[in-house]
Amino acid sequence: MNVYITDGTENCFYTAVFNACTDKDCIVTSSCAVQLPLGANVVAVTADGEKCTRVKKKLNEYAPHALKDIPLLLRRGCANKEQTALEYIRLIMEKKAPVKDMLSHPAVIAATEEMRKVTLEAHRFTGFLRFMEGSGGIFYAPFEPDNDILELILPHFIRRLKNQPFVIHDTIRGKAALYNMRECAIVHTDKKVNVVLSDCEDAFQKLWKEYYESVNIAQRPHEKQMKGYMPVRYWKYMPEKH
Amino acid sequence: MIDAERLKILTESAKYDVSCSSSGSRRANTKGGIGNASVGGICHSFTPDGRCISLLKILMSNRCSYNCLYCPNRAEADVPRASATPDELCELVIAFYKRNYIEGLFLSSAVEGSPDRTMERMLDTVIRLRKVYRFNGYIHLKGIPMADRALVSRAAQYVDRMSYNVELPSEKSLRLLAPQKTKESVLLPMKQLFLEKKAAGEEKGKNRKIFLPAGQTTQLIVGASPESDGQILKLSEAMYRRFSLKRVYYSSYVPVVRHSLLPDRCTGLLREHRLYQADWLMRFYGFDADEIAKEGENLPEEYDPKCAWALRNMQFFPVEINTAPLEKLLRVPGIGTLGAYKIIKARKFAKLDFSDLAKMRIVLKRAKFFITCGGKFYGSDNYDTVKTALMLEERSEKYEQLSLFSTPETSLSVHTGQL
Ligand code: SF4
Repeated sequence: MNVYITDGTENCFYTAVFNACTDKDCIVTSSCAVQLPLGANVVAVTADGEKCTRVKKKLNEYAPHALKDIPLLLRRGCANKEQTALEYIRLIMEKKAPVKDMLSHPAVIAATEEMRKVTLEAHRFTGFLRFMEGSGGIFYAPFEPDNDILELILPHFIRRLKNQPFVIHDTIRGKAALYNMRECAIVHTDKKVNVVLSDCEDAFQKLWKEYYESVNIAQRPHEKQMKGYMPVRYWKYMPEKH
Repeated sequence: MIDAERLKILTESAKYDVSCSSSGSRRANTKGGIGNASVGGICHSFTPDGRCISLLKILMSNRCSYNCLYCPNRAEADVPRASATPDELCELVIAFYKRNYIEGLFLSSAVEGSPDRTMERMLDTVIRLRKVYRFNGYIHLKGIPMADRALVSRAAQYVDRMSYNVELPSEKSLRLLAPQKTKESVLLPMKQLFLEKKAAGEEKGKNRKIFLPAGQTTQLIVGASPESDGQILKLSEAMYRRFSLKRVYYSSYVPVVRHSLLPDRCTGLLREHRLYQADWLMRFYGFDADEIAKEGENLPEEYDPKCAWALRNMQFFPVEINTAPLEKLLRVPGIGTLGAYKIIKARKFAKLDFSDLAKMRIVLKRAKFFITCGGKFYGSDNYDTVKTALMLEERSEKYEQLSLFSTPETSLSVHTGQL
């Protein structure tokens, strides 16, 4: 059995798909933590522009929606994301047609669910992300998403806060978006950075906590629901939860 | 900067207004401005009572010259009083918004001095926020009953949503519990705004202005007065139809004030929940209020209103999943809007059986009594068996479900309250 190991990028994945699509029981993954099955033959894939283009061209011909779906699937923070994407592509190649509405097919069910997890988390972070004002007037927002969603939430914040320089930092993946009111760059970073806060930051955080306290209806506790909508793992950078 | 003390006073009593939705508007950012509105609405936090925080809900002032019995801020009450200036409020909104704490502002006020005077100060705040602070985020303004018409129209040009709260579901209760307010003082401005919005929508080209893009809502307090659910739903239906309200919120009564005319206990959340379910049926499933509950009736506690309707109308069932039109699928207990659309899409590709439905995460516990798949039926012909099964199902889930009221109307299925 062949195990194709990719570097996690989209192009490398498409390159792997070029062979894997017809290679019946193979595995495609970018995770080094994968348990290799007995007798596995490891193939280290390097991105190949030609193969990648040919796969994408076919996808575009049969099911244009796939070119949006696959990148979304690859943002999933779990080890078998490539496998889910591969099964999805295989179905497209078999049907030679869009498959996204085949909602009772296992490959479509799996892909739809995984994509939903990514978009749901991105949606949640448009709300749960917290900025703090740095002393130089730059707003800093660290977060630890399950999925690789920095690029997905970025356009929202650029539209909304276009006159405010900011940094959004994915401290798990060590990457950050730097925005200076004109352009935006994504850079690799350390997982931790020190930020000197502005003088009023503390006061506003306190007011926010005060507000959080006072809007709660204490006679009606429903912690379970709170945690369902706002999972505890997201609380780390939310001032109101400290 | 506003101090913590006043913030506390001004936000503590604003919280009983349950409307927290920030959806329905797509106001864009402007040059040199801050913020925009997101059409689906965004929750920024959740409080330990399970509710979503989307907006900064605050009063301009809690010094009230009115005497609504149920209100902690009524003139006779002995409570700490405070007010905030327009600039203090604007500054706070901007500071919170820049930190991504909120989607915008929900501004309300006690009637300080006269209704006109109060509305003017609110209008001043809103205009300042838009023009001086260049804020393009979401603003929900609570209308003050009996304020001048012109002030109301003016405000509507700056904010995304307005609400006049009916609060008590009948004129009689209103007279008894909120003596200075009248039914007209709430319904007339609603009608005025509805007509003006309609006229604004008909303008073409350059004359077309943004006018209350997220429409109007209202709130009804449930359980402070004796009206039945049927009566409440009838009222909601009339307001949806006559004023095109975006939403009616139901707020189960929390006794903050003790008075011989008021109940001294909280109304159960289950009642509120049932009303939201019924409301959902009217808005998204094509039900009339009358079909759900008759004038003097209350909604059953044992199962949701859709189940109740189906049990009364067994002659329409079972429906065949592979052929039934959308309207019929929507009436099947346990199949929500999302489920119905999924079925319609999926059955174009393959004939569906029960295991397909299960794979598609369509919950069959209730639905199986009302559907066939390819002619197969796994329900029961015995009415009492069905009824008992539905009741048992409901009991096992009751506490998972008390959740509709706290979420904004997002497009996410977890939030859509499928019935
Ligand atoms: S008008 Fe009535 S409900 Fe509003 S603040 Fe005054 S007393 Fe309370």
